[in-house]
Formats: sequence, C-alpha cells, structure tokens
Amino acid sequence: MRSYWNQIWPPLVAVIFFLGVWQLAVSVLHVPSWMLPSPGDIARESRGNASGIWAHTAATLRLTLIGFPIGTGVGLIVALLLHLVPWLKRALYPLLILSQNVPSIALGPLLIIWFGFGLLPKIVLITLVCFFPVAVAAMGGLAQSDRIMMNYMKMAGASKWQIFSKLELPGSLPALFSGLKISATYAVMGAVVAEWIGADKGIGYYMLLQKASYRTDRMFVAIVIIVLLSLVLFALIALLEKWLVRWKPRKTS
Amino acid sequence: MLAGHPNLNTLEQASSAYMPGAKGAHHALNVDGVSKAFFHRRRETRVLDNVSLTVEPQEFVSIVGPSGCGKSTLFHIIGGLELPDAGTVNMGGKNVTGQRGEISYMPQQPALFPWRTIEDNVLLAGELKGEPKAEARAAARHWLDKVGLGGFERAYPHMLSGGMQQRAAFLRALLAPQELMLLDEPFSALDALTREQMQRWLLELWEENRRSVLFITHNIEEALLLSSRIYVFSGRPGSVLHIVDVPFPRPRRGELTDSLEFLQLRRELSEWMREEQARTTR
Repeated sequence: MRSYWNQIWPPLVAVIFFLGVWQLAVSVLHVPSWMLPSPGDIARESRGNASGIWAHTAATLRLTLIGFPIGTGVGLIVALLLHLVPWLKRALYPLLILSQNVPSIALGPLLIIWFGFGLLPKIVLITLVCFFPVAVAAMGGLAQSDRIMMNYMKMAGASKWQIFSKLELPGSLPALFSGLKISATYAVMGAVVAEWIGADKGIGYYMLLQKASYRTDRMFVAIVIIVLLSLVLFALIALLEKWLVRWKPRKTS
Repeated sequence: MLAGHPNLNTLEQASSAYMPGAKGAHHALNVDGVSKAFFHRRRETRVLDNVSLTVEPQEFVSIVGPSGCGKSTLFHIIGGLELPDAGTVNMGGKNVTGQRGEISYMPQQPALFPWRTIEDNVLLAGELKGEPKAEARAAARHWLDKVGLGGFERAYPHMLSGGMQQRAAFLRALLAPQELMLLDEPFSALDALTREQMQRWLLELWEENRRSVLFITHNIEEALLLSSRIYVFSGRPGSVLHIVDVPFPRPRRGELTDSLEFLQLRRELSEWMREEQARTTR
C-alpha cells in the first residue's frame, strides 16, 4: 500500500502544481475567460451544466463501446490471418504500414458520402484508427516466439495448430495488450472526431456547439470528460492484462 | 573411424561390439553414417562427417567434444528438425530420419513455458501426444514431490531458482511418452555447485528409472560419472574420434569422481579434447 502511494503522489503533486500556476496566471494576467477560463471556472461550469452534458457523454461512450471491439476484432483477425498465411503477410504487410500515412480523420467526409450520417460511417472511422495498433502488436508478438521453445515443440512432434495455440498465442499476449491499450485511447478520440464530422449528439457534437458560442469553459469540460473516458477504458484493459498475463514476473525497479 | 589416432587404448577395442552395423536386438537409437554440410554465401561448411553411434535400450550414452563439433546439429537431425545429407536415423528398428515427435528432448536452457504452471509444463509432452490428462496429472504430482518440487505444482516458472527450473525441465522430458531422451548440455547454464548437485541428482534418478539417454556435454567429469559409454567427437567437421566404455560398476556414487581410476580416465579424455581443440583452432 505504501509503495502504491509512493508511485501516486509525485504525478499528483505535479498536476496540482500545474493547476495552481494556471489559476494564478489567469487571474494575475487578466486573461479573458472566453480565451482561457481558469480551472475554477471550469469546475464550476461542470457542476452547473452536468445534466446537459451527460446525455452527450452517454452517446460518445456508446459509440466507443461499439467501435472499439469491432476495431480491435478486425485488427486481431487481420493479424491472425497474416501470421498463418506467410505469403499474404509478405504481400500485405508493407501496404498496411503505408496505409497509416493516410490520416484517418481526412477520410471522415468521404465516409459520410459513402455511408450517410448514421452509425455506420462512425464505426468505420473508429475501426480504421483502432485496428492498426492491435494488428501490428499482435503480429509482432506472434512472430517472436522463443526459439528454444519452438525447437522443443517441433522435436516433441507438435502440430502447426498446437504450436500456435500453446506457444505463439499465449506468448503474444503481452505485446497484444500494449497494442490494445493504445487502441483504447484511439477509440475515444476516433469517436469524438466522428461526431465532429457529422452527428446530432455526443461530446464531439457538444464541442462544436460550444465553439460556435465561444464557451471555452464548456469545451474544457468536454476535454476533461474525453480524458476520463480514455483513462477508464485504458484502466479496464490494464486490469484485464493483469489477470490474463499474471504469469509474467513483475518488474523490480 | 578410430584409425589414425595414436592414443588407441584397450577400452576402445572392447567397444567394438557397439560399432554401427552390428546386428541384433533393436537399438533405442542408431545413427548410421550421418553427414551434414551447410551452405552460406555459396561456401560449404561441413558440420558432421560420417557420424555413427548407437544407444541401447536403458543405456546412458554421452557425446563430448570441443565446441563447434556439430553436436547441436546432430541433435537437430535426430529430432527431425533437419535432414542429413547422407545417412539415416533409426529407432527401435525403424528408419525415422526427418520424423519429428520420436524423441523426448531437454534443451540447454530450461525453456519452460512461462504461462504454464510447473505442473502443466511437466505435462506438456504427453498433452501434445493427446494422452489422457487425469492419470498424467497424478503421475506428475508424484514425481514433482520426488524431485523436491512438491508444493510448486501451481507456481509459475519464474518463481523457481535455476536448478529447480532445470529439474522441472528434466521431469518434462522424463514424463514424455517417447522412450529415448536427448539431453542437450542440460547443466551448462548452472553455477558449478548447483551443477555438481544436479549431476548427482540425475545419476541417482537415472539408476532408479533406467531410460535410454543420449547426453551432450562439454564436461568430461559429468560424462564419466553418468554414462556407460562416451563418444568423443572431433572438431569441425564433427566425427567420432574415440568410443570409450566407462568401466565403473553401477550403482555409482558421487565419490567415484575421487577414485584413481576415474582420475586417470578423466586425464586421458581431457588430453584428447585438448589436442582436438588445439588442432581445430590452429
């Protein structure tokens, strides 16, 4: 418990210090609140307008929770397929890397033309940003099995499926989870961006509304909510990792 | 293959009964005239040159040789990971050249699967062969107790010391359904004290439960203590230089290593190894 506290307090102090400087700077330099509201203003606003923003938060959360599993699922399937079919990997892996030079956000307007304003283009966008970290991490993890264990499995007469299910797959879990954690934060971002492009509810839509009326304080409230959503999703994945990869020795610093 | 070396001694002549090609009951393992070369940038490196050796059922046989004598390649060929350029690998009277799953293998590093508990690691070989789990589990429990790993059944490998991990890896090989065990320098990663402990432990265990074993080591003392027969390999390309029948009766004790006869034999083997090392590094 004590060591846990030792880990927690330095960043906590840093955040409090940062907020203090912010608050002080805004009041000393007389920054107008439409340009940069103080942390106090933001806190007050978040209490005052809580009910309105909850509906938007729920919409974004729902979108994220639909898009994230689909995105990571597609990423996993792509990774497994390319891993099990080597010539497919040779053919597609470079294209996969290249495809990441296309900013997914730039595809948003196109997706709306193709799929309309409903749920579908938003899910497609989240899938596009989510699948890549998972696919690359999973492929990396699957390909780097321990050579001695691999030799052991082959000499013991293990079939290709046994090698995959008993060696490669469990061995790839730590790598896979680092991909999943990145995807989790991308998923929330993807959902907000999708709502910017075309939506009638959600945190992204809420931000656009507030921008139009220069309510900077409310935009900050929205940002805080986005951060919290990302953190919660990240923490859930980390918990799942802790349980599934419990065999891994803990790092001693 | 013994010709051309000045140090032929009586032990080698006595071993002529084991020369490859001798007919009789089925050998646990018979490697017959295996050669292997690798090509790298169009340059040929000969690794094994006409290697023949046999392991009889319930016999402990060692291979010693200078580093780079192709011992690992030979294991890969016996294990079916690689095909020889010439020669065959036979087990129990069957030609199994290039076939996998015929041997039980213990690698240099324990290579226990970190996500499996010790018990599940020990059961792996049987599991791969589709053996029923319940009986195997009971046997594994019994054996883990016996080798001093009782209470660690549900532990993960990283919680164990190097010596304990190596014992678990040995048990994994011992409980495998295959008759022949290949032990590839199993103690080379351990410190000297643990190593000595493990040699005596293996000696005792093997004399109680005789299995056919082919054992690779750099350590002459280890080979002499444990084996009934030792194949001394030449440097690259590896070939059989001497065959030594180890005369000490069983059951053997650890104190054997202090006896005069043991020391003499050890000195002789060390001499061969030194010469061979000097010849190949020149």
